[in-house]
Amino acid sequence: MSKFPVLLFLIGVTSFAQEKMDASEAATLRTKVKSLAETTETISSDFVQYKHLDFLSNDIQSSGKLYFKSPNQVKWAYVDPFAYAVIFKENTMYVNNEGKKNQVDIGANKLFGQLNKLIRASVTGDLFDTDEFDISYFKSGANREVRFMPKDDTFSQYVQEFHIIFNNQAEVIAVKMIEPSQDFTHIVFSNRKTNEDLPDAVFVH
Amino acid sequence: MKTFPMRFLSISLFVLLAACGSYPKKQGFSKILLSETQPGNPYFSDTTMDYVYRADIDVFKNAFSGLLILKKLGNQHHRIVLTTEMGNVLFDFECVGEHFKVNQILPEMDKKVLKDLLRHDFMVLITENPVFTSSYIQENSGLFETQLLSKNYYYAFKGDTLQKIVRVGHGKEKVNFLFSGINNNIAQQIAIIHANIPLAVHLKRL
Repeated sequence: MSKFPVLLFLIGVTSFAQEKMDASEAATLRTKVKSLAETTETISSDFVQYKHLDFLSNDIQSSGKLYFKSPNQVKWAYVDPFAYAVIFKENTMYVNNEGKKNQVDIGANKLFGQLNKLIRASVTGDLFDTDEFDISYFKSGANREVRFMPKDDTFSQYVQEFHIIFNNQAEVIAVKMIEPSQDFTHIVFSNRKTNEDLPDAVFVH
Repeated sequence: MKTFPMRFLSISLFVLLAACGSYPKKQGFSKILLSETQPGNPYFSDTTMDYVYRADIDVFKNAFSGLLILKKLGNQHHRIVLTTEMGNVLFDFECVGEHFKVNQILPEMDKKVLKDLLRHDFMVLITENPVFTSSYIQENSGLFETQLLSKNYYYAFKGDTLQKIVRVGHGKEKVNFLFSGINNNIAQQIAIIHANIPLAVHLKRL
């Protein structure tokens, strides 16, 4: 049997797998994400990070916990295979590297500032009120994917596209940061708990 | 009669040679004839392996960390990438023989002095079969002399295991590369310690 119909079918499946949203669907998603963000006081979640470099045989995998407390405290704590925590507060990044503590003023560095914005946005997904990105909307089954493309030439040398994937409840379930080389960092969230009590001690450096 | 510049040059060369030759002696090693089969550096030599290390870098009282990723892509061809823990690429280098290509580097790190220094250090890590010019022995330890990118290095072996590479200038240790936790041609820990500048890199395999 010719492989041609199978190939056509696969191409068809691929193009149907991710479809562009129309303007009203995109507006609905934005409203849902914003209203969820407004009622979210705390989030805790597990995450698995996959760093894909095309020349490697396997993605580099790490995992840990993410904590968020409204309005702007975020903590990424890597647990395996290394202990490393970063707390973002105001314009400062506090690093705890296996007990060695350090802090970095990210306000002074435009690149870090923009990365910080993406990291914060990874939590609630609310990155719509900005003119720094070209935004496009896609749907795939029950999930929704929003693609942010930095307009700034310098920043786009590091991040070509930033994807946020939402579930049906407009919660962020994954993010993907794609570099111009097409290498990427893919972070998948699980075991998300919203508005549970989160002591301030979690965010103490 | 020799002119003054010639005499000065001769004396300088003599002092330089005497100083260079003194390192193995200072370490208590005796010179022996080079054998035909020579050892090498096997730690980044397997094309099927992804070498991923957690890197702690202390430089001029600043400390930062990341993931150092090395991959052998072919004969004398390596890719070396440093990323943050969150995956952002800080630099991406490619070495083919002595040719060093910068695929990407953070603007803050894009300094000639730093790139030269990294080039020399990485060349030491990835060179598998340096051409040794002399060899020395002390009990079951061997010391082999070579040149990489015009710098003098000594490779220190205990039995067949490469434990240390030292860059030496004027008889003094300039940079130490220390390999430990060695199993199946993989070093679990690598330390790169510079004596002339406050720079120390500690690598721990993930």
